[in-house]
Amino acid sequence: MSDANISPLNTEGLSVAVQPGGANVLKLTVSGAVEMRDPGGLLNPYWSRVDEEARRTGMKRVELDLRDLNFMNSSGILTLVRWITKAKTHSSQDAYQLVLQYDRNVTWQRTSIPTLAKLAPNVVVPSEING
Amino acid sequence: MDMQREPLSADYVEMRFGPRWTYISCVRRFVASFFMIGLADKERAEQISMAASELLENAVKYASEEDGYLKISIQKAANEVDVCVKNRAEPNHVNTLRREFALIHAGEPEKVYLKKMEEAAMTEGQSRLGLIRILFEAQARLRLDVNDGEISIHAIFPLEQS
Repeated sequence: MSDANISPLNTEGLSVAVQPGGANVLKLTVSGAVEMRDPGGLLNPYWSRVDEEARRTGMKRVELDLRDLNFMNSSGILTLVRWITKAKTHSSQDAYQLVLQYDRNVTWQRTSIPTLAKLAPNVVVPSEING
Repeated sequence: MDMQREPLSADYVEMRFGPRWTYISCVRRFVASFFMIGLADKERAEQISMAASELLENAVKYASEEDGYLKISIQKAANEVDVCVKNRAEPNHVNTLRREFALIHAGEPEKVYLKKMEEAAMTEGQSRLGLIRILFEAQARLRLDVNDGEISIHAIFPLEQS
């Protein structure tokens, strides 16, 4: 298990759990929905914390499991865009792969996640996992 | 004058409610369930409900503080579904919307979407990704009508001919 110091998040119909991810892997599972008015107020600092901890602990892979996230509004999408934009500027020493796991049977995931990956193909890996 | 149209088919829903954010999620889930039954197409129903949610979010963010209301109507015709959200808005927002419509229709939707994402990441404030998301991800046509201070935004979804 990683020694990254990240607290789980549980608020406004949204949960983020931190899971054991193995060596050099940080795994987060997101569930619920992102449809609050200002998700950036909540998620921008949270994703920044994940980014900082991933670099501090030398993670090479961050897995974000979105399969149980039943909806994300465009303001929520923007929080991921900000994270990806930051991640693609990291030096090779700090760099990690951001794996976005999604379920193709959830319409918003099947359309939004591959599009997000195109922002930074060298950093973001869309991973389709059904069920 | 607000023309009252006869419903084009039995598959329609109309709602009018106060511009409160907390109602949007409720409407999104209702619309998804309604059209899951009406269309028997889960993917289309989820795209329609996503569009309804994004249009309502925009309307609440930019609604005029006076005479606040939101109206949403969704009608299925023979070969399309028309999602329409109406609200009153300040004149400066009308101009912003006209510019936004011109911008998102100025190029190939995926390229415009990615460019807007990159620009949004560099600025503070609203995402302004909702309309282009509807255009690209849900593959709907968008239309803006303004009538005496009332804005109507339509997201029109083609349906497969059966």
